Amino acid sequence: MTVLVSERLTIAVEGDVPVVRRRARELAQAAHFDAFASAAITTAASELSRNALVHGGGGYAVVEHVSDGLREGLRLVFVDEGPGILDIDRALRGGYSTGRSLGLGLSGSRRLVDEFHVETSLGKGTRVEVVKWARFRR
Amino acid sequence: MDPSLTEVLQFDEHQLRTRLAFFRIGEEELDRLAAMRPLMEEATAQIVSLFYEHLLSQPETRDFLDDPVLVDRLQAKQTAYFLQLFEGRVDLAYVENRFRVGAAHERLGVPPRWYIGAFDRYLGLVRERLIGRGVAGAELVADLAAVERIMHFDAALAIDAYVAGHLATHARNQAALRELASPVIRVHDRVLLLPLVGTIDSFRAQQVMESALLGVSEEQARVLILDIAGVAVVDTQVADHLLKTTAALRLLGAKTILTGISPQVARTIVELGVDLKTLHTRNKLSDGLELALSLVGREITDKERGS
Ligand SMILES: Nc1ncnc2c1ncn2[C@@H]1O[C@H](COP(=O)(O)OP(=O)(O)OP(=O)(O)O)[C@@H](O)[C@H]1O
Ligand SMILES: [Mg+2]
Repeated sequence: MTVLVSERLTIAVEGDVPVVRRRARELAQAAHFDAFASAAITTAASELSRNALVHGGGGYAVVEHVSDGLREGLRLVFVDEGPGILDIDRALRGGYSTGRSLGLGLSGSRRLVDEFHVETSLGKGTRVEVVKWARFRR
Repeated sequence: MDPSLTEVLQFDEHQLRTRLAFFRIGEEELDRLAAMRPLMEEATAQIVSLFYEHLLSQPETRDFLDDPVLVDRLQAKQTAYFLQLFEGRVDLAYVENRFRVGAAHERLGVPPRWYIGAFDRYLGLVRERLIGRGVAGAELVADLAAVERIMHFDAALAIDAYVAGHLATHARNQAALRELASPVIRVHDRVLLLPLVGTIDSFRAQQVMESALLGVSEEQARVLILDIAGVAVVDTQVADHLLKTTAALRLLGAKTILTGISPQVARTIVELGVDLKTLHTRNKLSDGLELALSLVGREITDKERGS
């Protein structure tokens, strides 16, 4: 996988979430995403950066425009050094929230992207990596 | 009376001490400044008038000083300001005074660069006086250093006041913009419309909910149309707020209609697994309006000719 653009964005305050989202949207455009794919990756960016902020106590995102030679895509990585995800299976099943929220961000994001990896370790932090490919080659 | 700027900017005795240390202003410098006072008192009138001569000769500053009455008043203030440099005492009252001077310039729209430029002219005039006094060598150097330090100390305080002034203006604008961003519009008897635009962060969401509730209660509305056509991303947080607003409105006896859902947003909401069944939804605002009217027992009909 070739990385065409890579940027690291800090997630420390609520105002950083729309920044990550906006950058994801811009890169999705650069990678020729259609409107549906762009909405999907932008929404996932929003969910995962907010999780890093709200549950992980802040961290950073790496936003990348990538290519595998055939297709262009976006790889987003969200890293925090928070408490880790207590019950990862339940969190991925959806409808489970330790906050007073819907509990759909993590499981929903997984459905919105093509590749999804979570590494989480109690007391150490969480790293979520997602990839979404543009559907049609241009 | 306005709150003191030292309070607003949280400038206390401790800050004052560290700031003085940073600018290397100690007893010695203050004593030197106090010792210069008689000389400066004698020279004030001339220095201040040369200072204004300079300001009036520059096109940048001249336009601000086109009122002779204003110039007279400023000159009087300038004299007091100038002599205070040679008090030999820098306390919180001094700092407050400097903050106020900075804030006054900021309000007048005088950019900081002129401030710094004017300061330099002042420094030049004082330097000439000190050199003309006939004391040379190490004494002169130390006196000049004391003057430079107190003036730079002053300039730093002025910049603090400028920055604080700008931030306050920015905060006011933000607040105004936010108010503007949640307007509840009465579109029909007991039907309200609340168009949402931009980013719905938790603060905005709170505000949307409150304007919706107040609007519904004031207008005795039965239906509120929430139009989200202008919202770029509807994630779980936004969806959660929509659901909560709907639930609260229901307690007031009003129904919520969600309109302006783009095909992309519809698809994303379904993928996320968010259930918006408790809301009436319509793609277009016009359809939402039609539904709203039917909910209050009205309908939109084509006008029949000749009846
Ligand atoms: N980065 C993280 N660090 C620690 N815990 C996390 C992290 N991300 C998710 N979690 C845990 O997983 C749960 C589910 O996450 P998910 O994003 O699905 O729901 P939520 O954030 O609680 O609500 P929302 O539906 O608004 O996203 C969270 O409540 C939280 O306990
Ligand atoms: Mg979440």
